[in-house]
Amino acid sequence: MTTTSPLIHCRRLGKTYRTLRRREGVLRLLGGLVKREHVEHAALVDADLDILQGEMVGLIGANGAGKTTLVKILAGIIPKTHGTAEVFGRDCFDLRDAEKTRLSLVMGQRSQLWWDIPPLDSFRLLRAIYDVDHDVFERRVAEHAERLGVADRLEVQLRQLSLGQRMKMEIIGAFLHDPELVFLDEPTIGLDLVSQETIRRFLRDLNRERGVTILLTSHDMADIEQTCERLLILDGGKLLFDGDLPDLQRRLVGKRRVELHLEDELVGEPTDAAEVARKHDGELVEVSPRRLVFLVPTARSQALVRELFDLLAVKDLSVERQPLEDLVREVFRRGQLEDAP
Amino acid sequence: MSGAVAAAPGGLRHHWRILRSAVAYEYKKAAAFKAGFIVRELIHGIERPIIMIFVYKAIFVSSGAAAIGTYGEADLIAYMLLGATLWKLVFPERGLDLAEQIFEGFITKFLIMPLRFFLMMLGRFVQYSSLQLLIASTFWLLGLLIAPAIWPRPVSAVAVAQALTLVLLGSYCYFLLIVVLNTMAFWLDVVWTLLVMVRFIVGFCAGQLLPLALMPGFLKTTLPWFFPYWMLCAPVEILLGRLGGADFQRGLLTLIAWTLALQLLAAATWRRGLRRYTGVGQ
Repeated sequence: MTTTSPLIHCRRLGKTYRTLRRREGVLRLLGGLVKREHVEHAALVDADLDILQGEMVGLIGANGAGKTTLVKILAGIIPKTHGTAEVFGRDCFDLRDAEKTRLSLVMGQRSQLWWDIPPLDSFRLLRAIYDVDHDVFERRVAEHAERLGVADRLEVQLRQLSLGQRMKMEIIGAFLHDPELVFLDEPTIGLDLVSQETIRRFLRDLNRERGVTILLTSHDMADIEQTCERLLILDGGKLLFDGDLPDLQRRLVGKRRVELHLEDELVGEPTDAAEVARKHDGELVEVSPRRLVFLVPTARSQALVRELFDLLAVKDLSVERQPLEDLVREVFRRGQLEDAP
Repeated sequence: MSGAVAAAPGGLRHHWRILRSAVAYEYKKAAAFKAGFIVRELIHGIERPIIMIFVYKAIFVSSGAAAIGTYGEADLIAYMLLGATLWKLVFPERGLDLAEQIFEGFITKFLIMPLRFFLMMLGRFVQYSSLQLLIASTFWLLGLLIAPAIWPRPVSAVAVAQALTLVLLGSYCYFLLIVVLNTMAFWLDVVWTLLVMVRFIVGFCAGQLLPLALMPGFLKTTLPWFFPYWMLCAPVEILLGRLGGADFQRGLLTLIAWTLALQLLAAATWRRGLRRYTGVGQ
């Protein structure tokens, strides 16, 4: 449900943190009380970015890559150092209540709800802050809690809930006022697989049904792969890639993983099969008596499969895209894609 | 998302609703733990005046004097008992956890909301003051029932109204000073130490240890220019009939001036601090 209205617009966006240099040794440490030395660290460097209404965008990067900094700037929490950062056509650090009502933020490592009271009481406070109609509030809480499977935990003190339940409550709180734009920073960190999947499905449904624009930061590639159409890859504060998964595959000359299950057990080394793989710029990466696994450039995979069928008695076949994790690792290794934005 | 752009909540009624909800939330927080409620809300603040009663008792016994300055022993005990009652209404220096919230990045949640964050802190002040009015009244009534012979009584209902006005306005000034000190957490990591130091100084200037009349001359002329004196010492003396209507008016004007100044200072430090805020982590 993507339209052409840009919600987020960044040009040459940068953020530099200035921190005190801590020196070693007692004398130097005492000297530091008199003469302060600071070091500057560029957390974000000249990022260009446009996000349209209804998009689900995944933001990937290692620790310290600048993901959280970007989210904080866009959500209006910290000021940028230079460049342009606009949300709803307004400078992010100067958002008025009208714009703040339209956005929301979930931070996986920082609770947005109040620790000492049940989530339902926190939601009531949020209802007053966002001026949500009573009936609408009741309906949304019930609906979201049902979808996330925490309807029976709404009146339990937040500190007594499990990590997964707390995160689901955070997400309910973030969506109570029906925001147009939601930032999620590591929403599935530390959660079990079932909770992760529930949250991903919830986000996908909200995006599809209500057109909510979502910027999702995660270390978990499955989060990104299963929810986002578009990827942003940050490394060292630089935006290395902005596009969709097929685009990333294409730019990296992505590979296919071809797995063959054989009718009969192999006798000796499969040298012929390895030779065929080499002929198509691929390689035979795993061998077992009835199973062979090849990695081959996407463009050559069909030709390889045809030749392997001629060569071997194949019982079953699977061709899979290279995992996103491998692709991202490749981006980090290369540092910069040739035609990256 | 309804498609149409939602109107931003606003106006006095909206702010009033948020304040009401914030007060309700603070009440829930205060009542969440029984031991916390007893320590923080019930018995907090009465220890120092009670100790001072024993200190003055010892001074009178050991010196054999009938009076210190214009205060006899009974007057000083009355002063301390009323001081303990009124001090319950004074906002505690540890009543806000704003500094911790800044250090640990928990104010982030408020920064993205269509909300003046000050309303949340004001909610805590209103909750504390309303609850303490009840507790202080109960404390005074209990004292009157248990020890009617020595328990001090206000000279008039007007004096009670004047004293309460000054205490609550003074407490609001102290609350604003605490807000300012908490916002120092944007720059400093010694806020707790600052709060402890300020508590001692404000307590002394407020006459928590001894009335202004017993202080050295230069303090007698200087302290009435500052809000702490009008927050405790003056209200107690109004209740005892030592100060009158003219003093109340002067106190009121002084407190209003301090309120305006501290309100501006709190807004300025908050705004400047936010520009340094990193929300923990990069």
